[in-house]
Amino acid sequence: MGRIEWAMWANEQALASGLILVTGGIVAVAAQFKGWPFAAYAIAAGVFICLLEYPRGKRKKGSTMERCGQKYLTAVVKVFGPITRNYYIRAILHAALAVPAGFLLSTILGTACLGIASGIYLLAAIRGEEWNPIEQKPQERPQVGGGTIKQPPTMPPPRPPAETRKKQPAEEAGQENPIPVIVEAE
Amino acid sequence: MGVTEAQRAQGHTGNLWQSRELIWVSQVLAKHPTHWTILSPYNLTLAVFVQLGLCISRASASVLNLNCSLVLLPMCRILLAFLRGSQKVASRKTRRLLDKSKTFHVTCGVTICVFSVLHVAAHLVNVLNFSVNYTEEFLALNAANYRGEDPRKLLFTTIPGLTGVLMVLVLFLMCTASTYAIRLSNYDIFWYTHNLFFVFYVLLLVHVSGGVLKYQTNLEEHPPGCFHPNTTLQEDIPVPGIFEEPFPEYAPEPFPAEPEPFVQNNVVRICTEEPKFQSHFPETWLWISGPLCLYCAERLYRYIRSYKPVTITSVISHPSNVLELRMRKENFKARPGQYIILHCPRVSALESHPFTLTMCPTDTKATFGVHLKIVGDWTERFRDVLLLRSSQDTEILPNFQQRNYPKLYIDGPFGSPSEESLNYEVSLCVAGGIGVTPFASILNTLLDDWQCYKLRRLYFIWVCREIQSFRWFADLLCMLHNKLWQENRPDYINIQLYLSQTDGIQKIIGEKYQVLNSRLLIGRPRWKLLFDEIAKCNRQAKNELNRRN
Repeated sequence: MGRIEWAMWANEQALASGLILVTGGIVAVAAQFKGWPFAAYAIAAGVFICLLEYPRGKRKKGSTMERCGQKYLTAVVKVFGPITRNYYIRAILHAALAVPAGFLLSTILGTACLGIASGIYLLAAIRGEEWNPIEQKPQERPQVGGGTIKQPPTMPPPRPPAETRKKQPAEEAGQENPIPVIVEAE
Repeated sequence: MGVTEAQRAQGHTGNLWQSRELIWVSQVLAKHPTHWTILSPYNLTLAVFVQLGLCISRASASVLNLNCSLVLLPMCRILLAFLRGSQKVASRKTRRLLDKSKTFHVTCGVTICVFSVLHVAAHLVNVLNFSVNYTEEFLALNAANYRGEDPRKLLFTTIPGLTGVLMVLVLFLMCTASTYAIRLSNYDIFWYTHNLFFVFYVLLLVHVSGGVLKYQTNLEEHPPGCFHPNTTLQEDIPVPGIFEEPFPEYAPEPFPAEPEPFVQNNVVRICTEEPKFQSHFPETWLWISGPLCLYCAERLYRYIRSYKPVTITSVISHPSNVLELRMRKENFKARPGQYIILHCPRVSALESHPFTLTMCPTDTKATFGVHLKIVGDWTERFRDVLLLRSSQDTEILPNFQQRNYPKLYIDGPFGSPSEESLNYEVSLCVAGGIGVTPFASILNTLLDDWQCYKLRRLYFIWVCREIQSFRWFADLLCMLHNKLWQENRPDYINIQLYLSQTDGIQKIIGEKYQVLNSRLLIGRPRWKLLFDEIAKCNRQAKNELNRRN
C-alpha cells in the first residue's frame, strides 16, 4: 500500500461526480421540479468540475496515460498555478460545491459522490501529493541510420573522390554533373 | 411467476404500444369509469407517461438481476480451470470462450452500472409520485405516509431507499477504481475497492426484502374496474397517481389476452370487499443465490486447499532481476500454462500475487517452480526475505537452513489460455521478456515427453530487451533442442530469439549456448514476413494455427 497515489482515484471520482451532477440537474430542470434553481446550479457546478478535473495529473513514477485531448485544458489549468496544484484547495472546493446540490432529490447522489471525492483529495493532500501538468515532449527528429551517421554527405551522388573535394573548398552545395542533365519540366 | 414478470417488465421498455400494454393501461383507466368513459389517445398518453417510472424501474431491475448473477460466474476460477482441463466436458470452442471470461465480467459490470443509473432515476421519479399523488384510498400501496412528504425523507428512511443509496455509493467507488488507468497505475486501489462487492451483495439482498412492490391477492372479490356501492369516488384525485401498484397479478393464470370483460362491457361488477395487497416475493434472491453460493463454496475450497504452506526447496537468482523459486507441496497437480497465487504473510499480510508456473510437477518429480521478475515493492521485499538467508547464490540449501525460509502459501492452480498450445498441431508462441513463463512450462513438459501430445510443430519466438534475459531459459531450450535432435525430430521446435535493443557490445548469450547464438537476431521481428512464412510451410495443417501471447 506504500506507493498508492490517491489523487488519481480522486480525479476519476470527481469527474464521475461532475457528470452525475450534470445529469441530475438536467433531469430536474427539464421536468421543472420544485427547487429547480438548485438543479441549474448543479449543472453549472458539474460542468466546472468536469473541466477542472479532465486533465489528469502526472504520476510521480512511471508514465501517465493522458485523456484524449487533455492538453488544451492542461494549459488552462496550469495558468492558475498553486490554486490548482494544491490538493487541499481542491478538497475544500469540492466539498463546498457539493453542499448546495444536496437540497434537491435528483442531485443528491451527485453530492454524496462529490463528497467522497473531496475526502480522497484530502487524503492525497495529507500525503503530500500535488498536481503536475503532463508536459508535451519536444518531437525528436528520427535519426537516420540509428545515430551512427554523424556527418552525412552534403552532395548527392555521383560524388568526386575526397581529394578533389578538398581541393575545392569553395564549392559548398553545388554539384558539377559530369554528364549534362536536362530537366524535363512536367 | 418470475419469468413472466421479467418478460412483461422487459416488454415495457420496448414498444409501449403492444397490445399487452394497451390492455393493462385500459384496465387501469377502467377503474374509474366516470372519469374515463372513452379511451382517448390523450388519456392513454398521460397514463402511460406516469407509469414510465414504474416500467423503467422494473425493467432495469430485471436486467440488473440477470447481470448481478452473471457477473460472479467468471470469477469462479476453479470452475473455469476445471472446464479448461476436461477435454470431454467442454469442447474446444467453449474453452476458447473461457479466454474471454474477464471481458465478460467487465461487460456485465458496465451493464450493471448503466442500468443502475436508469433504475435509480426511475425510482426517484416513483418516490416523487408516491409523495405527490398520495391518496387515502390505497394506503397499503403507497410508501409515503402523508401527502407531500419530503421525497428525500422517503429515500433515506425506508429500507429499499437506504440500501439503494448505499449500493449506489459502493458501485460508484468500485466503478471509479476499475478504470484502465487506475488498474495500470495503482492496482491496489482497484483490488481493495473491488472486494467491496460482498457489501454490495448483502445490501442487494436486503434491498429487495423491503416489500414496497405489492400485488393484489383478492382479484375475484375485487376485480379492477368494479363498482363499490358504498363509497363515493373522490373527484380530485388524479387517476394516474393511484396506480403506483404494479399490474395486477392473476396468480394462477397468465395475462389475459382479451380486454373485453373489463373495458368494452358496460356492465361493471360489484366489489364484495376491499382490495388486499401483498408484497412480491423478492425474486432477486432466486437469481443471485445460485452464483453467490457457488462463489462462496469456491472461496472456501480455495482457502482449505491453501491452508498448508509449501516447502521451498531452492531459490536461484538469475540475471536481469529475476528470481526462480522451486517448491514442493503434496497432492499438488498442475498442467503446463497454469498459474498460482503466492501469499507470504511475512512480506505482506493482505497482498497476494499471481505467477505463472514455469515448471509443473510430474509423476517422477514433485518439484514445481515459478520465475518472478523483481519489479514492485512486494517482489522486492520477497526477494530480500528469501535471499537474506544466504549471502550468495546457491542451488540447493542444506535442510537445516530451510527452516529459515518464510512461510509461503499458494492458491491454485488456475487456468490460462496458454494451456491450449499443446492441443493444436502447429503452435506459434510469441513471448516478450518475462512473458515467456507459460511457454517455459510447456517446454519443460515437452522435455519430459513430447510424443503424447497432439502438437507436431512449435514455433517459439522470444523477444527481449537485454541479452542476459535469455539466460533464464537458455539451458532448457538447449536441452530440448538436443533431445529432439537425438530423437530425430529436429523440426519439432523452431526457435527464434530477438534482441530488440542492443548496445552493440555483447552479441552472444554464452559460449556454451551455440544453438541459441545461431538463432539470435538483432532487432524486432518482422511479423508479416514471419506469419507468411509459417503459413506457407504449414499449409497442410488445419486452419487452427494457434497464436498465443
